[in-house]
Amino acid sequence: MIPGAIVFEFPKDFFGGLWVTVQISALGLAGALIIGTGIALLRVSPLRPLRWIGAAYVEFFRNTPLVVQLFFLFLGLPLIGFRFASDTFDNIFRAACVGMALYHGAYVAEIVRGGLLGVDKGQIEAARSLGLSYVQMLRFVQLPQTFRSIVPPLGNIAIALVKNTSLASTIGVADLLFGAEVVESRTFRAEEGFGAATVLYLFLTGPLGFAVNALERRMLIAR
Amino acid sequence: MIEFRDVHKHFGQLHVLRGIDLSLSEREVVVVIGPSGSGKSTMIRTINRLEPIDSGSLVVDGLRVHEKNVDVNRLRRDVGMVFQSFNLFPHLTAAENIMLAPMRARGLSRRESRERAERLLAKVGIPEKADVHPARLSGGQQQRVAIARALAMEPKIMLFDEPTSALDAEMIREVLDVMRQLASEGMTMVVITHEVGFAREASNRVVFMDEGRIIEDSPTATFFERPREERARQFLSKVIKH
Repeated sequence: MIPGAIVFEFPKDFFGGLWVTVQISALGLAGALIIGTGIALLRVSPLRPLRWIGAAYVEFFRNTPLVVQLFFLFLGLPLIGFRFASDTFDNIFRAACVGMALYHGAYVAEIVRGGLLGVDKGQIEAARSLGLSYVQMLRFVQLPQTFRSIVPPLGNIAIALVKNTSLASTIGVADLLFGAEVVESRTFRAEEGFGAATVLYLFLTGPLGFAVNALERRMLIAR
Repeated sequence: MIEFRDVHKHFGQLHVLRGIDLSLSEREVVVVIGPSGSGKSTMIRTINRLEPIDSGSLVVDGLRVHEKNVDVNRLRRDVGMVFQSFNLFPHLTAAENIMLAPMRARGLSRRESRERAERLLAKVGIPEKADVHPARLSGGQQQRVAIARALAMEPKIMLFDEPTSALDAEMIREVLDVMRQLASEGMTMVVITHEVGFAREASNRVVFMDEGRIIEDSPTATFFERPREERARQFLSKVIKH
């Protein structure tokens, strides 16, 4: 037996699953960054009701299990008349992406909020004293500096997100873990199947960690 | 150009401005001195509404600054400000620092703003630093970029909040030289500084503040030769001696 040979015996399950995992990760991360930035801006807004909305979002999505959220999106929403797509497979795939974005968006929001508050007040005053509006100040001064300072913690979230996509298999998304389970149930070669899946996850998260470190170094130089 | 009438301001319990009356006409250069905590900085920051006021009136270039319906961004475009800690944007180069506001708040094209940035960097004596990030500039160079950044909006008034207090002795001069030149070109300026040499040469009037009030407001020569107020005299003797 050659270790890992099993992935070439069942390429569709492993590599197909890996591709689905990559897609959910990428879409989920993009969504989480957008949602997280938006919620963070609400949380530092001068208007109190907006701050409340932001805080409520973070508390809700951070304090309930991701699996429960996924089941709600997949099974709960259709009962109240909402589906992400009419096709079942599309629906669960999209539910998984949305679930990843919503849940991790809460964590991203906390990190971005910390970054926004960490920007020196003098920067904000300098921008405003030049006649830039609040939104222009955010866009050209405060947010760019925020993102430069929060690359490392965002990298942690990105890696956690890639691993957490494996929970999508519980609602039937044919991701990498799902593929490994299918192979195991057919062959009973659990040690090979899950071992191979582990290595494939490492192929995703390892380079991601490396990329985050490289990006962090580049940001330090640019500052 | 600038007109304070009985302006008051509190920070919580602290009464920081206690009835400021002050007026500046165009092309006037006024130096504000006084001990720390006297309200100088708060006073200058009310002019572009970085600090709100509690009562009284403040008119800048015909605008009643602290009224609700005033377009504060429009006001600020015409009032440049230079800070003690420079506050250059660290993620932008010197030229980009200068170009940002003309492009975004005045609608100039990238090319026009770049030309303006280069012209202003030449004016403050560091044309070769256009594409350098602030972290690679000395304090004096950073402050000169900050002055150029404020000038890029072609303001009618320039406010300086202790522009040389964070600088080493040898860099103070290069910043003061730029400010002197600006004064000689007829810019309306309010300058908080303890640089007596600059005040003597470049200013028309000296305002001495203590405990939230303007204690003395005299023509520069009068102020340094025979200050009316005892407190101003004491303060001067301390500042000049060191």
